[in-house]
Amino acid sequence: MSVQVGQEIPELVKDPTTRQLVQYAGAQGDFYEIHYDQAYAKSVGLPGVILHGLLKAAFLGQLVTDWLGDRGTLENFEVSYRGVDMPGHPYRCRGQVTRVDGRDVELEVWGEDEEGKRTTLGTATVQMRA
Amino acid sequence: MITSAEAIDRLKTRIGVDGPEVTAPVEAGHVRRFVEAIGDPNPRWTREVPPTFLVALAPVSVHLSDAEEYGKGWLNGGNRFEYFAPVMIGDEITLKGRVVDVYDKAGSSGNMLFIIFETDYTNQRGELVAKVRGTMIRR
Repeated sequence: MSVQVGQEIPELVKDPTTRQLVQYAGAQGDFYEIHYDQAYAKSVGLPGVILHGLLKAAFLGQLVTDWLGDRGTLENFEVSYRGVDMPGHPYRCRGQVTRVDGRDVELEVWGEDEEGKRTTLGTATVQMRA
Repeated sequence: MITSAEAIDRLKTRIGVDGPEVTAPVEAGHVRRFVEAIGDPNPRWTREVPPTFLVALAPVSVHLSDAEEYGKGWLNGGNRFEYFAPVMIGDEITLKGRVVDVYDKAGSSGNMLFIIFETDYTNQRGELVAKVRGTMIRR
């Protein structure tokens, strides 16, 4: 399968729940209360408990590794969190190829909420196998 | 309550200073709980770790409690992962972290304090396997 600039990669839709946030808090060791305690989250001005930025990064990481498979190696992965997302709403991860230079491929990846707002933006650089 | 200028000055003294090294084994059970939590069933993660697992390996050795005197909550601004070699289950990884920059900025909802930190991950053979950079925001 050839990789071309402009190509969209297969999307990944996640359905995060509060249970998953608790599971992730335990697995990562991040026990900041804004991810599982509604009253605490509201006390710091949030609409309720929110997804860990790094959980959204993990979703985008899966988007890239699912697409890449064993065809290459992930070299660089960068994400910027631009908005909050709440459990109970689907989170859609998408991406497209932005640069191809020999074996080096760059992707733009993003996560969007139900309204299509891109709340996580990222880039991934991979090197395809020779 | 100290002033934000004092909190920033205190944090700035740590720029470029390595925190204590922490060594942690990459355990199969931990990786399994992590991939179950993120919902990624790829069988590859029974041998190797998924891209963001490194942040779960051990708490970063950079202490940011001084920053908690600024604002009322933390936000994660972003993360950057650079990979140099795969991290496999059974590896023994040493982490070394440091603050690389501290600054504050006026935002639409008040001032925000930005702390940029990075962590180096080295395996049991002394190979640098990854670097992770993070932007933590107090507001």
